[in-house]
Amino acid sequence: MSSVAAPTQELATNPLREGLDQERVPDASCLVIFGASGDLTQRKLIPALYSLAHDGLLPTGQTIIGFARPDYTDDAFRMAMRESCEKYARTRPVDNAVWENFAQSLFYVQGDFTDGQAYVRLNQRLRECDRTRGTGGRRIYYLAVPPQHFPTISKLLGAEGMVNDPESGGPFTRVIIEKPFGHDLQSAKELNRVAVTTFRERQVFRIDHYLGKETVQNLLVLRFSNGIFEPFWNRQYIDHIQFTVAESIGVEKRGSYFETAGITRDIIQNHLLQLVSLVAMEPPVAFEADPVRDEKVKVLRGLREFPRGREPENAVRGQYSDGSVLGEKAAAYRKEENVNPESKTETYAAMKIFVDNWRWADVPFYIRAGKRLPKRVTDIAIHFRPAPYPMWRRLPSVNVQPNVLAIRIQPDEGISLKFDSKVPGPSVRTAPVQMEFRYATSFGGEPPEAYERLLLETMLGDSTLFARRDEVETAWAWLDPLLNAWAADSRPPDFYPAGTWGPESADRLIEKDGRKWRRP
Amino acid sequence: MTITNPAFESDVRVDVSAIEKSLAEIWRSNKDDGEHALTRAALWNVVAHTSSREQQAHASETLSKASAAVPQRSIIIRSDPAGRPEIASWISANCHLVSGGKQVCSEEISIVAGGDRIHRIPPLVNALLIPDMPVAFWWLGDLPNEHEAYVESLLDPADRLIVDSVHFDSPADLDLLSRVAETTTTAPGDLNWMRLGEWRAVTAMIFDPPHMRSRLSAIRRVRVISATATDSFFGEMIEALLYASWISAQVGHQVDAGGNARGLAGTIDYAFERRRQSSEVGGVVFAEISFEDGSVASIARDRERGVLTANVDGMVTPPCVARAKSQRIDELIVRQLSRTDRDVVFVKALAIASRLAKRVAAG
Repeated sequence: MSSVAAPTQELATNPLREGLDQERVPDASCLVIFGASGDLTQRKLIPALYSLAHDGLLPTGQTIIGFARPDYTDDAFRMAMRESCEKYARTRPVDNAVWENFAQSLFYVQGDFTDGQAYVRLNQRLRECDRTRGTGGRRIYYLAVPPQHFPTISKLLGAEGMVNDPESGGPFTRVIIEKPFGHDLQSAKELNRVAVTTFRERQVFRIDHYLGKETVQNLLVLRFSNGIFEPFWNRQYIDHIQFTVAESIGVEKRGSYFETAGITRDIIQNHLLQLVSLVAMEPPVAFEADPVRDEKVKVLRGLREFPRGREPENAVRGQYSDGSVLGEKAAAYRKEENVNPESKTETYAAMKIFVDNWRWADVPFYIRAGKRLPKRVTDIAIHFRPAPYPMWRRLPSVNVQPNVLAIRIQPDEGISLKFDSKVPGPSVRTAPVQMEFRYATSFGGEPPEAYERLLLETMLGDSTLFARRDEVETAWAWLDPLLNAWAADSRPPDFYPAGTWGPESADRLIEKDGRKWRRP
Repeated sequence: MTITNPAFESDVRVDVSAIEKSLAEIWRSNKDDGEHALTRAALWNVVAHTSSREQQAHASETLSKASAAVPQRSIIIRSDPAGRPEIASWISANCHLVSGGKQVCSEEISIVAGGDRIHRIPPLVNALLIPDMPVAFWWLGDLPNEHEAYVESLLDPADRLIVDSVHFDSPADLDLLSRVAETTTTAPGDLNWMRLGEWRAVTAMIFDPPHMRSRLSAIRRVRVISATATDSFFGEMIEALLYASWISAQVGHQVDAGGNARGLAGTIDYAFERRRQSSEVGGVVFAEISFEDGSVASIARDRERGVLTANVDGMVTPPCVARAKSQRIDELIVRQLSRTDRDVVFVKALAIASRLAKRVAAG
């Protein structure tokens, strides 16, 4: 017997992981959730972490510490979190054996975000976990709190020595922050400035949960893993693109937040512009954090500025009035809880925008987002130019329609291509038909929740699916002039009855170009 | 939910165009039928080779269930070389309700051949495959290693060969599977390997912490215990063999033709033991990995809790726990079909298992 394999003393990865469902496993860390008694923790974060544990994707020793004001014991916190998992986890009912093991990783520290002593207690608990659970000083801080608490938390974490500088080469510290990333460019810059006083940019993970959706990630696979699409993905073949983010619900209990935000800040500045970036970006040199985000930022930088003094020229804002959605009566926005009865906040916005670059010159992107629309749907429709020569023009029975590639982000995720086909029979008659791909049909099962993927990526330290500072600031810089113009306008938004596809002015916006909104 | 509509079933002569016509008729007759839209889907062609009515019924039921997760055109062959010279075929559809109330249906074509007519099977199967979709060939029962040419002719269009090595009666079967991997473009797959998934996962967990990875080179002994119903049937030990071979392959141990293994610091002892029990026959029930410092990692199934756990002497971190997965055949098939690439780790383990098998067979 001759040679044997190389020594394993310095293995960077675990060779036994090769070929398993999870080839990359993060090192166990302590994940501290600030705002552990809040809605996000109960509905999304803990159920997502439990589902990861259920699927065997959490590292052994991974530890989760809830930090909030209510006075819970570890056991009371575990019990409350089990109830959340029973209600919201993807993998239900909760598996007793998995839960038993997962619950041992859950701890709770009571404290106020502004109380330095609470951070001392938290730090003691963290060190204890390092000793008993092998977390090795690795930390992830999830700020599931409103952004105004971010400066205080980050300052006190720094003051207590709970943030390790990655330049020092020690165990990692990462921080996850939730949208909104500011209210405008100035506040976004301020938030980012505060962040980098305690953390380096590469330690900051800004969550936009849209990026964790399978279908959003599939946009990149569709474009860059298939040879047939990319040659047509440009101004030569594409007439225009429509983006729709529709919600059937109103503002529910978020009236006071929504009054200060509006749909443009809540959806368009983040989720919708992320979709625009992914559809319009150039192929990145690698599927890695900075190459992907560099290309997305280039798209945002290419967004044509709103014409000065005429900012709302290609934009429409609306607000829902009384109506009905899905057969139920729906009250006007102005009658919602914590909403000003004379509110001018937009619950609907539509825009015609352009990406001024070589690929997309003069191709309109029509984007719209709204609440209390007929149904919940997020959809991207790529409308191709018609065939160059109408050879059937003398046949009245032939009504050639442009091809549409529709990408359904949610629900009923999938992709369809509409094209014309000859109707069987002796004469030449055509009808549009659809080729459909549906995730549920082809792959079955429930895809992982966006938060599962994003939490795992944070543990792995991969920020590809997170927004970078310049993305956030570039998006605000583009949108600010329109928001300022709307704020300065004393007229109310255009009203639309709840349960319709938005105000008539939105139809006029697209119809004046000889096009119409697709019914998603 | 599985809906098999017996009304779809119809005898047809074994004529490809007639089969295709009958398939088209199924979809046409159901297009406007009922309140649910009917969608036809297929990601794979799955050809099941059986040699008895029981196996045929088992294959049909299994693939029907599997098609809910992996839509497929199933072709189920019953081949009986000693039977009457006949060949017949019939078709049916397997339908499942998915979210949104849609019915997704996949076709099932059955072919029964006896006597010298079995030689018509390979070209018939070839003609019935959906173009451009990968082909998996599921061989039920023991591989007929004495009829290698027959197997090879059937495997010609196959991208994947799926076997269940728990039925193998001699090391020659493993050798044949290994040769398929080495000499053809057909990727081998083994349901026994799928059963090992959770054992591999929990074993890998032991070595996830950076300080544990260095211990891989300090492995001195791997002891695996199998549940067996007999004292000698070879197939009952294969899961254990594959487990040990996997560790050996991934850590970089050298195993010679006689099944002797060496690592960096010397001989590695691979020990295989039988434990008589009536349940989970053929499955690994316990594994132990010993290191040069005398410490031991042990992995066991906790049947009551439905998990596998691993402990290492002297480790302060919590035990590694992995949820035990379903071992139903249809779910193992789904796991096999869920990966479209060649399983290179299995191929590496298979090559070593062939060598270690000599020791088990001899012992």
